[in-house]
Amino acid sequence: MEALLTVETSDYSQGMVSTENQATTDEAGLIERAKRSDSKAFEALYRMHIGQVYGLCLRMTGNVSEAEDCAQDAFIQAWNKLDRFRGDSAFSTWLHRIAVNAVLGRMRKSKREHDRIQVAAAESTAPASIGDSGNLRDLSDAVDKLPEGARHVFVLYAVYGYSHKEAGKMLDIAVGTSKAQLHRARRLLVQQLEKEGFEA
Amino acid sequence: MNDEREDRLVAAAGKLAKSIEPERDLWPGIAEAIEAPQRRNWTPMFAQAAAVVLLVATSSAVTWYAVKDDTVVAPEYSAELIFEQASFGSVYTLGPGFQEARGMLMADLNAGLEQLSPEERADIENSLAVVQSVIGQINAELENDPENVYLQELLLRTYRDELALMRRVGGLTKNVMLRNDI
Repeated sequence: MEALLTVETSDYSQGMVSTENQATTDEAGLIERAKRSDSKAFEALYRMHIGQVYGLCLRMTGNVSEAEDCAQDAFIQAWNKLDRFRGDSAFSTWLHRIAVNAVLGRMRKSKREHDRIQVAAAESTAPASIGDSGNLRDLSDAVDKLPEGARHVFVLYAVYGYSHKEAGKMLDIAVGTSKAQLHRARRLLVQQLEKEGFEA
Repeated sequence: MNDEREDRLVAAAGKLAKSIEPERDLWPGIAEAIEAPQRRNWTPMFAQAAAVVLLVATSSAVTWYAVKDDTVVAPEYSAELIFEQASFGSVYTLGPGFQEARGMLMADLNAGLEQLSPEERADIENSLAVVQSVIGQINAELENDPENVYLQELLLRTYRDELALMRRVGGLTKNVMLRNDI
């Protein structure tokens, strides 16, 4: 029975590895085809990664329409810069960097079009908790209310698991600034969630 | 106590959904953008190259004029100069301070030109013509490619050169904008 279990587990693991390898190979093939201007291959890459890219944009902007625009911008930029992707990092990480840049770029513009964005924000609620349930919804909503700088660092570090070095590079801020913003975010979140009786 | 709570909170944040599907399919908009006919690349590149050459020539002229002996006094006529409207992309903007300083310098320009010898005035007018030509070209390219940071920087530098040239012509001692104030 134990041997059987081992074999089954082993088979299962090999199957998983094989599936992962297959996915990586597929992705690599799609990237190569997309580099040769194959838009169908790029669409397949879009379908593979849109959830992650849109999720990041939504959590960073806290606004559905802005997140949609950022995600679209990110994929358009990715298409234009695809020949520069050398595979030094995972394709998803590369896409995330582009998405973060798209968010920051739009936010810079938004500051200049403050009134327009205020109207847009009022019209578009921000259900960042869309993919979350239970207490996590409260947390997600609280993250959404964080000040911009603290929210960006918290999303990259705590939600997406990037290091301070990586987050700092993406956001073009120093590692120390990233740490300070995380500290601020944690403090603000605890304050806010205590009011709401949140239990992690 | 709070640290523990904060740590738990960060751990909980790691469980938030990372992948969220948009409510609508964003692909059609992306497909439209990436399948649109590619803009001819040679035009901006050619224009950028030409702008760089012109900018270098202008800068050289400005530098030469700035460092040469400035014992000047030979009144003559004033030339009408037309300036392009500044149109920057998303990265740089010209503040009201710049516009105000530029307006002051333009107002003083004619009077300043009258103080120059014909040769010096011709030099300045030629330099300004080159600067304005460069500004015109860069502005035209920026209309096609408003997000081009390189062009925006180039335009900013050219306006700075224009300001420096105008300040030099007027021999101004007023406390107006400096290069780095833009």
